[in-house]
Amino acid sequence: MGPFSPWLTNWARKRSIWVFHVNAASCNGCDIEILDALTPRFDAERLGVVLVPSPRHADVMLVTGVANPMMRERLRTVYEQMPEPRHVVAIGACALGGGVMKDCYSAGAGIDGIVPVDLYIPGCPPRPEAIIYGILKLVTGIPDPVPEGEAVVK
Amino acid sequence: MSSEDLAPLASKLGGTINAGPKTTVLSVSPERVVEACQAVSSLPGWYHLSTITGIDLGQDIAILYHFWQGKRFVQVRTQVPKSAPRLASISGALAAGTLYEAEIQDLLGVSFEGNPFLGKKLLLPDAYPSDAPPPLRKDADPHKIKKMMELE
Amino acid sequence: MQYSPEGMMPFGPVHPSLKEPEYFKLFLEGERIVAVEPRIGYVHRGIERAAQERTWIKNIYLFERICGICSFHHSLSYTEGVEALAPFEIPKRAKYLRELVAELERIHSHLLWLGLLGHWAGFDTLFMWIWKDREHILDLEEAISGNRVNKSYTTLGGVRNDLPDGLADRIRAEMAYIEKRAEYYKGLVQSEETIVVRTKGRGRINQEVARKLCPVGPLLRCTGIARDVRAEDPYASYGEVPPQVQTSNAGDIASLLTLRLNEITDSCRMVKETLEKMPAGPYRVNFPRSVPAGEATFHVEAPRGELFYFVKSGGGSVPERVKVRTSTLANILTATEMLKGHVLADVPVVLTGMDPCFGCMDRISVVDVDKSKEWTVGGEALRRYGVEYYRRK
Repeated sequence: MGPFSPWLTNWARKRSIWVFHVNAASCNGCDIEILDALTPRFDAERLGVVLVPSPRHADVMLVTGVANPMMRERLRTVYEQMPEPRHVVAIGACALGGGVMKDCYSAGAGIDGIVPVDLYIPGCPPRPEAIIYGILKLVTGIPDPVPEGEAVVK
Repeated sequence: MSSEDLAPLASKLGGTINAGPKTTVLSVSPERVVEACQAVSSLPGWYHLSTITGIDLGQDIAILYHFWQGKRFVQVRTQVPKSAPRLASISGALAAGTLYEAEIQDLLGVSFEGNPFLGKKLLLPDAYPSDAPPPLRKDADPHKIKKMMELE
Repeated sequence: MQYSPEGMMPFGPVHPSLKEPEYFKLFLEGERIVAVEPRIGYVHRGIERAAQERTWIKNIYLFERICGICSFHHSLSYTEGVEALAPFEIPKRAKYLRELVAELERIHSHLLWLGLLGHWAGFDTLFMWIWKDREHILDLEEAISGNRVNKSYTTLGGVRNDLPDGLADRIRAEMAYIEKRAEYYKGLVQSEETIVVRTKGRGRINQEVARKLCPVGPLLRCTGIARDVRAEDPYASYGEVPPQVQTSNAGDIASLLTLRLNEITDSCRMVKETLEKMPAGPYRVNFPRSVPAGEATFHVEAPRGELFYFVKSGGGSVPERVKVRTSTLANILTATEMLKGHVLADVPVVLTGMDPCFGCMDRISVVDVDKSKEWTVGGEALRRYGVEYYRRK
């Protein structure tokens, strides 16, 4: 773990969540509510949440959309590019289980089988408050590591 | 809206006119379609090509070219049999039609000869099963297609 | 990226192994773009096919989720198309309410676009300020319909509910606020150097290109062609409260900024006028379960341009065919034309100029024709590259 104590690393990690957003065939409704969460009215940035340009810098991947065949492989690859510890949040009814597009021929049934999801935020689209609440729930759910031994952030 | 100005065009092309309250339909045979579209788009006033629609009618596939002029729609309409779903592309004369034809190529399996997307996909995923019918055809079953693409 | 003097961070092949389709394939010769090949379909879900298995009313909820930003216009075009097919006359009050919410959506969409353009040009402050102002509109939409996005406000036979009491005054107050802000932003985009440098002269198109490629919406009107479906083919109550069609002659991104801001101001005027002229009466009547056989073509002026619906009924309780042509599809060819001759750094701003649904900005693939190399670059990385490029100039 290097010179920094696991407790300190985890404390810092919880307060600075860098998110990478992937639009896996979404109508953009959830996407604009995610962006809205970063704007002054809801201001997720005060909690340390920042949108980053590359999955290699991200702690959390936010996924919206039904994940149609064109996006499935990409979603998987992006997830694998994220360094551990990493989390996935499925946002919106489409990412949860297909939403209203469930029976469309080119729509998957949510992102569940493609990447392991840690948190689901339902809604069509979920309000920015719900998105912030969800991310906070994810963050506070990260346990503080054991003082000695290795740090396990699951 | 009167359709008198289209009557001479229709007789020149060997087609028929059907005038409705907002839409005038000019039906022609598939070989005259490019000529008809070019003629309509060069009528006075600017005829903007809104889109091209394909409909599966069972035995045939109808192709509708929608032109909006500012007061009325002029619809150039033709039909190709499913046994020979081929048509000349208007993308050479009217570049605006390129993507609309490509969409019909993908979703209904009609080939527009001369369209730059012929043989390539514009909309459908690459994983779309090659032995499944195009999705908007009547014999395409969305559930079967989903199973083939492992989406269910 | 081979050409990176002064040690600028080269962001070479970001995702070399990803072979998924891209939105745009850019062919570069030296620094300039010479050709563009579009490949869309990453949001293709199969909605037109699914519509054939849903009842007429259920399809409203399906179609409004084609795009979350102009979702009301999708449901509006669909419901008015089906009502024209029936044919069915809806109460006058419902028409005015539809226009009211449609114009509110136009304001919210244009503000969204403006903020995003600021973001892509590297001017994040503008993005934050504009989106904060946009919240006022979203609050109004929520007060009227219950949801900020995907409102499901229109329905077959009218609208879902009436304007709540006391909301009219609040709407007027918010419109006054938005008008003031629009004036401020108009001055800002014309004088603020960050914006002017990135948008003046960029993405230039003219009437010849427009007639050949048939774009729609503000992209068409910025070449000077005054075509607007609300004025030419009025639907809802646009016959009684028509728009003042805004045009520009410059044809570049800078003129699109002013054009859309003018449209925002005009929409505020229309909202206020709609409130004044709205008659009393029912807001909804019962719509029959099945629609007589026939075909109807309907189009509306969505914020991005003409939104086209073709509805065919076989006489049953589900439609036989619904065809949707979104405004962005009509603008893609024009956007590829706009990109030619530009450098890579201009791509984010020029592409945003056509107002695509921004998920499409995700993926851009670049082909260097001289060196026969190809790589993919993500939207955000391209944005940062563009900001750095202009900072160095």
